[in-house]
Amino acid sequence: MEDSRERSLGTRSDEAGSGLGRPGPSLFLQLPSNQTLRFRGNKAEAWGAAVEGAAEPLADDPQEQAPPYAEGEEEEDRKPLRELPLCLEEKRRLRVLQEQAASRLSGWQLWRAGKRRTLRHFKSQAGAVMSYAVMWKSTLRHIEGHFGTGIESYFSFLRFLVLMNFVASLLVVGFVVAPNAAFEALHLNWTSRSSNTSVNASCLRYNPSVYGLVSYFTYIMDLLSGKGFMELTYLFYGKYQNSAVEFVSFSYNVPLAYLLTAFFYLLFCLIWIVRRSVYWLKRSLVSEDASLGSYSNKVFAGWDFGLMQPSAVQLRHKSIRYELRMDLEEEMFRRRLAEQTTKQRATLYLLRGLLNVLVLGLLAGGFFCIYLAAEYSQRLVGSDNSPVKGQTLLELLAAYLPSIVITVANLLIPMIFGVIVHLEKYPLSFEIKITLLRNVFLRLASLVVLLISLWSQITCSRDLQHSDCKDCGYSRLFLCWETSVGQEMYKLLIFDLLIMLLVVVFVEFPRKMLVTYLPSCPLVKLWGQQEFMVPSNVLDLVYGQTLCWTGALFCPLLPVLNTLKYIVVFYLKKLTLYANCQPAERTFRASSSNFFFLLVLLLGLTISCVPALYSMFAMSPSKACGPFRGEPTMWNTVSSAISELPPTAQEFLEFVGSLAFAVPLFLLLSIVMFYLVALAGSYSTMVKGLKAQLQLEGQDKLFLVKQISELSQ
Amino acid sequence: MGNKQTTFTLEQLDAYQDTTFFTKKEILRLFYRYRDLAPQLVPPDYTNKPYVKLPYELIGSMPELKDNPFRQRIAEVFSEDGEGNMTLDDFLDMFSVMSEMAPRDLKAYYAFKIYDFNNDDYICKSDLEKTVNKLTRKELTPEEVNLVCNKVLDEADMDNDGKLSLEDFQHMIVRAPDFLSTFHIRI
Repeated sequence: MEDSRERSLGTRSDEAGSGLGRPGPSLFLQLPSNQTLRFRGNKAEAWGAAVEGAAEPLADDPQEQAPPYAEGEEEEDRKPLRELPLCLEEKRRLRVLQEQAASRLSGWQLWRAGKRRTLRHFKSQAGAVMSYAVMWKSTLRHIEGHFGTGIESYFSFLRFLVLMNFVASLLVVGFVVAPNAAFEALHLNWTSRSSNTSVNASCLRYNPSVYGLVSYFTYIMDLLSGKGFMELTYLFYGKYQNSAVEFVSFSYNVPLAYLLTAFFYLLFCLIWIVRRSVYWLKRSLVSEDASLGSYSNKVFAGWDFGLMQPSAVQLRHKSIRYELRMDLEEEMFRRRLAEQTTKQRATLYLLRGLLNVLVLGLLAGGFFCIYLAAEYSQRLVGSDNSPVKGQTLLELLAAYLPSIVITVANLLIPMIFGVIVHLEKYPLSFEIKITLLRNVFLRLASLVVLLISLWSQITCSRDLQHSDCKDCGYSRLFLCWETSVGQEMYKLLIFDLLIMLLVVVFVEFPRKMLVTYLPSCPLVKLWGQQEFMVPSNVLDLVYGQTLCWTGALFCPLLPVLNTLKYIVVFYLKKLTLYANCQPAERTFRASSSNFFFLLVLLLGLTISCVPALYSMFAMSPSKACGPFRGEPTMWNTVSSAISELPPTAQEFLEFVGSLAFAVPLFLLLSIVMFYLVALAGSYSTMVKGLKAQLQLEGQDKLFLVKQISELSQ
Repeated sequence: MGNKQTTFTLEQLDAYQDTTFFTKKEILRLFYRYRDLAPQLVPPDYTNKPYVKLPYELIGSMPELKDNPFRQRIAEVFSEDGEGNMTLDDFLDMFSVMSEMAPRDLKAYYAFKIYDFNNDDYICKSDLEKTVNKLTRKELTPEEVNLVCNKVLDEADMDNDGKLSLEDFQHMIVRAPDFLSTFHIRI
């Protein structure tokens, strides 16, 4: 049998060989590295049939077969049976041998092996039970099977956000809203904690409740803009009081609970996101030559074996073709670009510079519009003699003006970016990256501009001598400024959801109708069918989550609203995906992008921490409302709470907060970071060296085998 | 858990559980899928280990495999006779390796065998050309196919012998981030 195999392999290798006088195949078959391959044929001579201590007929096979387990390896170090690349019958035979070997063990080892086995079974059972508890698992699987892993990654990200918001809302409700509601319902004793310093009476004139006969329409208006009766609900900061409640045997300090909950909410989100990014970082396997989609990745990992629907299969074929063609074209494009003369290159760089200036100009223009809109809106709605007072619809429009301007900017400017980036003649992969970066910057920076606009109005741009800010330390147009900020975030959230709903109903469904019933219309030819664009949808989600984080300090129930909003978005997007969309021509690389989305989410979290921290430490809280009235800063509650602790705890906390602790800690962390960076650098050099060595080893092997076969002839 | 089924003995089910990535329930569900392909050929009782082989045509008509361009190679690699005719053991083995619980190395090993069309234990240029043609349904021009194959060999062939050995393939798969999620059949 060996002769026939040799002969057949000999003819094949002659065809496949490069014609350099290749040595006979029999020698290659005897090399240890080739022994790892499973040989085909009726008698499956498997890789590694011998097990230590077992008398086996396969062991006396003439060709030396290496055992699957090294000598002296403990049972827990061995690979589990199911992970061996053998056929099922071989694995069963090995299992029988293992059991025979196990039965010859001593009593204590036997007991240990038995315990290990039950633990393994228990783990697999627990895993099966846990998989039932995963939310929307079947939906995600269905989407993956029909639309691919790229779109499924969007829905998986959305599910993660829903869960995070849900747990966070439990936290907030449990520590802030529920105790307050319970204490009020139980009519417990509230003892005020605010200091009795004299305050200018004009600062305390805050009364949002409406008297007299109010139309039903006003209630709807109030619901949508967060004013009126909404300001006095638990939704906003203003409702809470600066007091402690005597409950059973301890005193529940309401402002302290409020502050610490907000703080821990942000910390909890940070920890969860970092954990998840580390997981995805490991999965995406950042290697030193990771390109966006190398050829071997496309050829060997390009076909999704899980696709079942014929339409999905067709699309996958099409997208693989498209991607391979695109890559080849990009290759040629790069080569042409490299062959340009200096003059051509100079003109290209000049063009790129001008277009970048144009991009910056557009961004600046957009931000300026947002700033003006925010100012105008507050002026229209806040003052008593504004022209829109009394006309509810105009008032609503004025209240939502910043949201409208932000949404319009976020719709128009990316389109212009798309046109500009074509003119810049970057290679395709870089084009995608830079467009994404610009969109991320646009979205997050527009929120920052809105916050800056609000801040400048509230603090009169830090000019305490301004006529508005002289009395209270903050603008007298904003007697309860935290609630105003909370209202802006609330309005943005609602508007975001509304826009998503309107786009689906008024843009995507008609587009699908047009494509189905009027396929010859020129508009259809220009526009085409809707594709589910994953990056822009993920940016929408990140934007919404950033809004929630920014507003969480000022509007405690915002995480709850956000959870509900994201659940609605999930079903909405699922509906539009199934009804309207075709999968994108260029498949979306899910693995490397998951980490990128989490990075953008982390950036959003960082941005949203800044207003919260600034308000906590540097701004004076409203004197007329909220749980911090009467305190100089919000952080003051914590410091006064610390001063009530026993002296040793106080000293310890003071030490931790002082510079004597912070500076050495910072130095230590910097040293650790430099060490890790150096370690990573040395690993990558080692990997490069090992790769070069592997190449040389392969050439050595060829050379030596050729020599041996020449000498043996 | 009571032994309410009469298809397998408890010993057989335990053996299947240890040698595949499936739980007892999933093994039974897969058995019923196998039986549904040819109810007259497959006996309902496997306790005395009958030797039943389903022809490739039936396996290739399963909805999970029907549209896969590599279905013939998959069946050939996992079948005992190398022709694509599968026993229940081969069937379970195939779906176990293609399930999401199989580790990367195991999948890489079998992926190598699947893409090795001429079974010479190397993925040579003709194997690559066949793979690319199957992926694109022969709609790329021969020059484009040639370019793509050259690029793949540039990227993955480390010992410079003009073809990919198992080690080359496994090294390359480690750097292919999509492999685990695409080399996966849901059943």
